[in-house]
Amino acid sequence: MIRMQPLRRFGELRLLVLVALLLVTGFVAVVATELASFAPVQPVVPLLFIALAVALHLFLVTIGFRGDQLLLPLMLALTAIGLIEVERLASNLLLQQLSWCVVAAGVFVVAILVPRDLSVLARYKYTWALLGIALLLSPLLPGLGREINGARIWIGVGFAQFQPSEAVKVLLVIFFASYLDEYREVLTMKRLGPLPLPPVPYLLPIILMWGMAMVVMVFEKDLGATLIFFGIFLAMLYLATGQTSYTLLGALLLFGGAYLAYRSFGHVAVRVDTWLEPFAGDTRFSSGYQLVQGLFALGNAGLLGAGLGGGLPERIPVVWSDFVFDAFTEETGFLGGAALLALYLVLVFRGMIIALRAPTTFLQLLAGGLSFIIAFQTLVIVGGNARLIPLTGVTLPFIAYGGSSLVANFLIVALLLRVSDVTARVRGPA
Amino acid sequence: MTPVAQNLRALTLSLALAFLVASLGVGYWTLVASEELSHDPFNPRLVAATRDRPRGNIVDAKGRVLASSQPSPQGSAQRFRRVYADRSLAQVVGYASFTFGVSGAEGAYGETLVGQDPGDPVGQWRARYLGEHAPPATVVLGIDPAVQQAAATALGARRGAIVALDPRTGAILASVSMPNFDSGLVSDPRTEELSWQQLNGNKERPLINRVTQGLYPPGSVFKIITGAAALESGFDPNAKVRVDDPWRADPSWGAYAVRSAAKAHGDFDMARAYQQSENIYFAKVGLQIGGAKIAEYAQRFGIGSTPKVDLPAAAGQVSNSRALDRPTLIADTSFGQGELLVSPLQMCLLAAAIGRSGVMPTPHYAVEVRDAQGHVVRSITPGPSGQVVRPDTAQKLTQLLVGAVEAPGAFAFGAKIPGVSVAGKTGTAENPAGSPHGWFIGFAPANDPTVAVAVLIENATEGGVDAAPLGAAVMRAALGK
Repeated sequence: MIRMQPLRRFGELRLLVLVALLLVTGFVAVVATELASFAPVQPVVPLLFIALAVALHLFLVTIGFRGDQLLLPLMLALTAIGLIEVERLASNLLLQQLSWCVVAAGVFVVAILVPRDLSVLARYKYTWALLGIALLLSPLLPGLGREINGARIWIGVGFAQFQPSEAVKVLLVIFFASYLDEYREVLTMKRLGPLPLPPVPYLLPIILMWGMAMVVMVFEKDLGATLIFFGIFLAMLYLATGQTSYTLLGALLLFGGAYLAYRSFGHVAVRVDTWLEPFAGDTRFSSGYQLVQGLFALGNAGLLGAGLGGGLPERIPVVWSDFVFDAFTEETGFLGGAALLALYLVLVFRGMIIALRAPTTFLQLLAGGLSFIIAFQTLVIVGGNARLIPLTGVTLPFIAYGGSSLVANFLIVALLLRVSDVTARVRGPA
Repeated sequence: MTPVAQNLRALTLSLALAFLVASLGVGYWTLVASEELSHDPFNPRLVAATRDRPRGNIVDAKGRVLASSQPSPQGSAQRFRRVYADRSLAQVVGYASFTFGVSGAEGAYGETLVGQDPGDPVGQWRARYLGEHAPPATVVLGIDPAVQQAAATALGARRGAIVALDPRTGAILASVSMPNFDSGLVSDPRTEELSWQQLNGNKERPLINRVTQGLYPPGSVFKIITGAAALESGFDPNAKVRVDDPWRADPSWGAYAVRSAAKAHGDFDMARAYQQSENIYFAKVGLQIGGAKIAEYAQRFGIGSTPKVDLPAAAGQVSNSRALDRPTLIADTSFGQGELLVSPLQMCLLAAAIGRSGVMPTPHYAVEVRDAQGHVVRSITPGPSGQVVRPDTAQKLTQLLVGAVEAPGAFAFGAKIPGVSVAGKTGTAENPAGSPHGWFIGFAPANDPTVAVAVLIENATEGGVDAAPLGAAVMRAALGK
């Protein structure tokens, strides 16, 4: 990072005022409905968060950062909605979530400052890949791994727990961006008649990737991570090569594997059957209970919603992590839910624009892949909540309760900002 | 090799489209499916509003309290418990369980009963943000205790349903569905779990309101609709139709034939056909006027569409394919078999429409909402649902149906009431689930009816002959005779 004179970022500041208003309004609305259980910590949390937001803004100003001015307010708006929902649904976890915000902000600052040059990421690509695989397999280690709610996707050290798959997503994008940047010409060579098959050695990572996704699905019982990993892989392969046939082939592999898993593994079959017929039988005792309660919450939304604190989303099991979208929509209505989706879409568009403007192919692929993570993860969990696809345990970025996910998403935004900063320095301000 | 920028644009476009699909999915559940989800018996939302305060009363037309909230003994999880007065109205009044949701009027008027009447947004806002709940309103049902008592006594412990309504207003005067259950046990947190499991697992399905949700073949009561279709198609009711048991239209019917209940041989006009409920007569008439006419008139009388009643109701069907396109199906349907499925409420509305010169009322259980001071907040008067047949057709059918009760040798003789002219029709519905169901529908006084009734006895020993006296008992209570 080249140190420079401080640079004013008025656009960002103006938007941060709106974020502060959003947070305070939301908190007042939620706290007002539960005055009986008022705790002095409640007004402190939004103030601390606003202080954190201002600190991040001033940090970028001080170092003369020239990157995008929309991403930080968008990220903090979503995180603020997350805090409002944690206060609404599980207020005992509020301080914990705020602490995770601080940790995530720390990681954000480190990611902005430390790598002097983003090409470092490309240079050590195999290191990132190996680290990713090690992290991915770590929950399977006895003693280190922990199984929570039927999925073995956590590692624990002492009191703290961490979901390594969140970090793996980012590592994967970095690895693929550099690998595909290097070999994209080889990968698009035409072989075997109409089939554009690349030379076998270059196929190895692809097959390795498929194998890893299956390991995650079978041994760690994490359908969501499997879907996300494979989605990242296919999207980046498409970004690099433009070959729709690869994407289709990969999708076929995934669906084939998923179908085999559906036939062979109980936990996969239950998810799919629940999705197909959530209302079958007595939903109070069936596997569809969680999904049906989520749909009841959506049904209570209407156009304008029940109002914050006015719904009954707390009846959905583990609502603060799996069903926070339904909870938010129940109380803010279809308009609230659609606005939230629009907020994500603006973030994704902004990331994609950063990718389009990036000076090198590696940076284009990196920014494109990182934006894709946020978009795809949002689609997978909202689609699961609204019964468009089977429900998988993916977190709603920035909003769902959970530290690992928050840290990883802050890291993604920091990297996107870095790319936009590089672009601005190369090409001059937008 | 396409430039990465181009691929980025294509990927972004696909993601944007996927977001659009996701928001459409959210729109479906929040806006389109919302109403249906809110009535799901497992939806805990409406009951949750009244954990710590009383729900409003549900009372009948004479002010008798059917459901009320009483303070719980100290140490209970809930501060109030729900008390129910009349088990014969179990499915109508319903239950309010925190775990298992609401049913009946407890569900249909759930917002009213917690002091958040849908017409009062300010009240809803005050409740949510200020915790100032409006005192819950009282829901007044049209149930007449004397008629209800007569209906419950008449049906006794037999499986089946009886419904009586005022054909002038559509207000439901009596509604009995057997077997029933104890609403109090389902609503009490201490017993709800066990009670629910027993009721929900019960093969006789006591939780179902057979009046609105029970679907049965109508048997011979459907002949009223066949007659209406025939009269409006220009068929002469005095024309003689030859009846010879058993009857096949042509050899293509194979072993299948229409049977006459009386194994009749002779010439029938419409009056005699109603008196003796002659299947072959109506099968021949139905084939003559055509399946499309029969289907059209069945639909006019509401078969196949959900009645606009204020409790959950079933639509029934004219046939599996909604059309009557095979000769044997037309013949079977014309005398009430085939693939027809109807609810007792739909048949009661049929009787009401014939009695009121072809004007069908809109049925409703509740008649008023009153506030805590007893002032009427709103009256529930949905008005007629439409003119389904011409007045002269209805008057001719009334005359024929009076004959079906009062003429010598008429099957529905059991429905006679001394001093009052009664119109009615019995039915004996063959069904795959055992011995035939017995039907009776009717109205009285025939020239200006104030009550219409439908009786259904599942697997009755004598079919419609069993049902007719029950109809008489209910109508007598309504007429005060």
